[in-house]
Amino acid sequence: MLRFLTRRTLGGILTLLIISAVTFFLFFAVPADPARLACGKVCPPELLEQARHNLGLDQPLFAQFTAWLTGIFAGRDYGGLGYCPAPCLGYSFVNRAPVFETILDRLPVTVSLTIGAAAVFLAFGVATGIVAALRRGRPTDKIASVSSLVGASLQIYFVGTLALYFLVYKNQILARPRYLPFTEDPLGWAAGLTLPWMVLAIIFTANYTRMTRSTMVEQLGEDYVRTARAKGMPGHSVVLRFALRGTLITIVTIFGVDLGALIGGAIITETTFGLQGLGRLSLNAVTDSDLPVLMATVLVAAAAIIVFNIVVDLLYAFIDPRVRLN
Amino acid sequence: MSTPFLSVRDLIVDFHTEDGVVHAVDGLSFDVDKGTTLGIVGESGSGKSVTNLAVLGLHDPETARISGGITLDGEELIGASRSTMERIRGNKAAMIFQDPLTSLSPYHTVGRQIGEVFRRHTGASRAAARDRAIEMLTRVGIPQPKTRVDDYPHQFSGGMRQRAMIAMALVCDPDLLIADEPTTALDVTVQAQILDLLRDLQEQTGTAIILITHDLGVVAATAHDVLVMYAGRAVERGTVREILGEPRHPYTWGLLASMPRLSAPVDLPLRPVRGTPPSLLNVPPGCPFHPRCDYPDLAGPELCRTVRPELSPHRGHGDACYLTLAQKREIHR
Amino acid sequence: MRVRERSAVAVLAVGLLMLTGACAEGGQGAPAASGDAPAASAEPYRPPTITVGTADDSRGPAIAPEGVVKGGTVTMIDRDDFAHFDPAQSYVNTATNFGLLIHRGLTGYKRVAKGDYRLVGDLATDPGTPSDGGKTWTFTLKDGVKWQDGSPITSEDVKWTIERSFASFITQGPTYIQQWLTETDHKKAYQGPYDGKRLDAVETPDDKTVVFKFKTPHADANYAFAMGGYAIVPKAKDTKEKYDKEPFSSGPYIIKSHIVDKSIDLERNPNWDAATDPIRGAYPDKWRMEFGQEALQITDRLIADAGPDQTTFTFYANVPPERLQQVLGDASLAPRLLKSPSPYGNYYYFNLDRVKDVKIRQAINHAWPAKQIQQLYGGPAAAALPTTILNENTTAGYEPYDLFGKTTKPEGDIAKAKELLAQSSNPNPTIVYAYNQTPLQEQITVAIKSSLEKAGIKVVAKPLDRKTYYDSIGLVKNDFDLYWGGWGADWPSGSTVLPVIFGPVADGAPNYAHLKDPALTEEMEKITAMTDLDEANAAWMALDKKVQETITPLVVAENRIANTLHGSKVGGAEIDPQFWIVSPNTIFVKP
Repeated sequence: MLRFLTRRTLGGILTLLIISAVTFFLFFAVPADPARLACGKVCPPELLEQARHNLGLDQPLFAQFTAWLTGIFAGRDYGGLGYCPAPCLGYSFVNRAPVFETILDRLPVTVSLTIGAAAVFLAFGVATGIVAALRRGRPTDKIASVSSLVGASLQIYFVGTLALYFLVYKNQILARPRYLPFTEDPLGWAAGLTLPWMVLAIIFTANYTRMTRSTMVEQLGEDYVRTARAKGMPGHSVVLRFALRGTLITIVTIFGVDLGALIGGAIITETTFGLQGLGRLSLNAVTDSDLPVLMATVLVAAAAIIVFNIVVDLLYAFIDPRVRLN
Repeated sequence: MSTPFLSVRDLIVDFHTEDGVVHAVDGLSFDVDKGTTLGIVGESGSGKSVTNLAVLGLHDPETARISGGITLDGEELIGASRSTMERIRGNKAAMIFQDPLTSLSPYHTVGRQIGEVFRRHTGASRAAARDRAIEMLTRVGIPQPKTRVDDYPHQFSGGMRQRAMIAMALVCDPDLLIADEPTTALDVTVQAQILDLLRDLQEQTGTAIILITHDLGVVAATAHDVLVMYAGRAVERGTVREILGEPRHPYTWGLLASMPRLSAPVDLPLRPVRGTPPSLLNVPPGCPFHPRCDYPDLAGPELCRTVRPELSPHRGHGDACYLTLAQKREIHR
Repeated sequence: MRVRERSAVAVLAVGLLMLTGACAEGGQGAPAASGDAPAASAEPYRPPTITVGTADDSRGPAIAPEGVVKGGTVTMIDRDDFAHFDPAQSYVNTATNFGLLIHRGLTGYKRVAKGDYRLVGDLATDPGTPSDGGKTWTFTLKDGVKWQDGSPITSEDVKWTIERSFASFITQGPTYIQQWLTETDHKKAYQGPYDGKRLDAVETPDDKTVVFKFKTPHADANYAFAMGGYAIVPKAKDTKEKYDKEPFSSGPYIIKSHIVDKSIDLERNPNWDAATDPIRGAYPDKWRMEFGQEALQITDRLIADAGPDQTTFTFYANVPPERLQQVLGDASLAPRLLKSPSPYGNYYYFNLDRVKDVKIRQAINHAWPAKQIQQLYGGPAAAALPTTILNENTTAGYEPYDLFGKTTKPEGDIAKAKELLAQSSNPNPTIVYAYNQTPLQEQITVAIKSSLEKAGIKVVAKPLDRKTYYDSIGLVKNDFDLYWGGWGADWPSGSTVLPVIFGPVADGAPNYAHLKDPALTEEMEKITAMTDLDEANAAWMALDKKVQETITPLVVAENRIANTLHGSKVGGAEIDPQFWIVSPNTIFVKP
């Protein structure tokens, strides 16, 4: 297990390194000049040069990359702007702040959005999936199947915009989406995120209902589930301890993928609900050609996806001893 | 004569499918006494497994329709409540399945799977259940049971898994053990060990055993009585000696002929039963075996094709065939 | 200032935000192509008059809008946080507009009535006194103007403000004053005050008086000082780069808290005295600003107008295309709808190095499908059809003219175009049209192509990548004949437009037409040197017409109209026609 973790962590770090290098060099491959954007008015060559120097863009590309990389571990000095302690992900001239600070500020928004929504759609999706599987062919199953089909075909910005108008702006049934730190105001935190969670849940639940249902139906037909019944195990135990156990593998697999999708889809979610998380940050970074922020958001998203993958693999091992012991 | 321990009367199991009604078991009756072993023989699809799942109520309630009577130790099982069935399963009546690899949960340790049956039916503590599991593993001959008890099924060999399966079935000292092809997935030497084990256990506990198999060799080695099934019906019934020594039904002859014998000349070819088993959605009229039978005209031009033969006589060695005893003896020679 | 047309990267079907700018920031949505838009307003648009006020005009307090109420909290919601707080880094209208709440400059624009503005002294007692033929400008500071800590604002602060704008970390603000005081490459002449060197061209004979000595005459220097980029920074509190994060207030409010990209809270500055300020009403006690809302959400909130959203407005978020028809068609929203046409000059430039025949250029002007393009923008409520190079909103002494029949035949005069082509060197010319590849521009290109081809002009369309659009058309040696470009005046005078768009020809310079005409250059220099502003303004206007008449270096492009909603309990909301953004000066909260 330890070897597995070490191997995967090292692999993850290598992947991050490659991703940051690719992002970095791709950024410069696109002929949009961030110095140009940072330069006002007619932008004579001298001013452009000045802006370029201020942004550190006059250094050779490779030197810029290594400076960025060493900054993460050793920190960096930004002259008049002060010292940026490790882990220094650079200084954003657009946000006028060290990138790491900004990331720390935005990360909880995206994490809260993701975790909360995931908890809702996971619980709800798996529960409806189990019920549908146990009642397959009956009306409950059909309602679950149809509604999950409808849910899966909806888009965040569509449902989100409608929900915002009717539930928030017009009738004020729910609080306007906003982020309050959990540690300061747990109730406000939940209230402010309820609508985004619900909208995300409507869209993602469908997948879980469907996958849970089909895998569950399959699992209920497994020999060992029959054995459990033949042993006289009560019905709920047969479903939850035996059939669900086998279904978990599938659920965990798609959950891993969906967490990645949530992080990737954060741009749309956060834009729709006006939340300032990593998605919005990365969007702004692209529009503003803000390389340090762009790099950091790409890195955080990539790291999150790598961690999810490792966690999913760990969960496999936890769920299925055959994985663990082989 | 006292009431048999397990009595199945006129059992009918129909499955309602999209294609129509499958008559999996169609009027089957048999008895099993304590301390005896009934071998149920037949090709796949003959209804042997369905019959036994019906005994434990393990069929899919959505699609299966069951009628007739099943009494276990005087208690009627058809129509019994779910809790009654859950109380009986694994306790009074247990079952061993064909493929121990798929029939054991890959997610739980062997010891836990054995122990939980014990806890479920006796209310024993976790520790007591574990001790019992070790005891059972010892009884079925698993070496180092104290460490193997914490292993997962995939860490066991095929034979050990079936032993574990047996241990699990026997953990509550059931009065009836249904073994559905318990040795099919195992190699020959292990097969013999498992059958020996079942025999020994029966001697110790007096359990009634139903042994489902397509292998007459297994029956010969283990069973006291034999029931030959074809297309959801019994076609021949008798003691193991009667069935193997004086088989009366052409289907039984076919089964015997398809089985290798040590006593037969080596160059004698094996003769499988020709044709294929009938679809249970559409069972042939008359004797369901007649399309595959070599002698459908001996009992008259139409009889075998139109009228279903019943098992006769009602007790002892009986068969469902219109041929006369003389004809049967003549042909089987 | 450069006007960028670029698309926000939002991959949303919600609506592409089209016009974002180095000067005009995002939010002005492009209305979708749709059928006939209902005629928005019955009365024709009247451009503002902007004149130079007197010392009397420069006295506070500001002229209150009708029904004004003091107090309360107003909420402002917008998509983006402000790019800068350091005035010297502020060029974009969103940043300078916010600056009105916390910064003051030497001069500024006072709203006298709707559409009537006067350039007045802000910190100065009057809009400045020129001497030496406009080369020397003297300002006297008012009594009682203070920083947020109560210390007086002095002439030394003014001098320091100008000096620090030469520093190397200042790269984004305006550079007019710096160049006038030194030379074009002003950062070479002087590197800022931080190493102890001072700038002699700015004199402070006493605490209240500051004198600027320019190298050449600048009759409109008082307008230049009204730019938000020249708001005053306190010498004692200057933290160089960090000042951009922690500005020190001279205006009516103080930043109580700022969470980047999320919110700003303002509270009153106790040391601001309304009696000294002719510009800022500063009626609400508190301001709450929230960022991160898309134009669609903002519009939906303001349409719903429920609860706290009634006291909410937006500086810059436009009604997006998918809501425009609904908003225009809803009479109940009309009292809460603000409209104003763009103050920027938008042009389709001819590349004079390639399209050499003026008859062909004029023929294209006649054949131009202005009306069709207007429809693509969303109809007359979403786009105006200007006819002059100088924008009506940003030109003092504006005089309309229409040389190519855009008013009478907005759909294009094909016959007239054919007639001109027949007289030209090539009656069937080929025009390479380069455009910014956005969905709307694709549609517009089709309209242009179809119309010009009716006149016998073959159009080859060249889509360009959005991010590098300006870089591509900015190359002097480019392979295109016609392309769109924008320019915005920095103050209401032709002097910040014509000498720029017809200035030096160089890669990246805004003379996209490559117009090199010594006579024109001489004429522009002559007008720049004029000491009488009215005379100069009239001359710029005449030159505008003359250039289009004799050279025709461009087709005047369609002009977007901003449509912005505000909550029902927000009073005094008005789009400043010059800056194209809702002014904070007149905003108040109704009880």
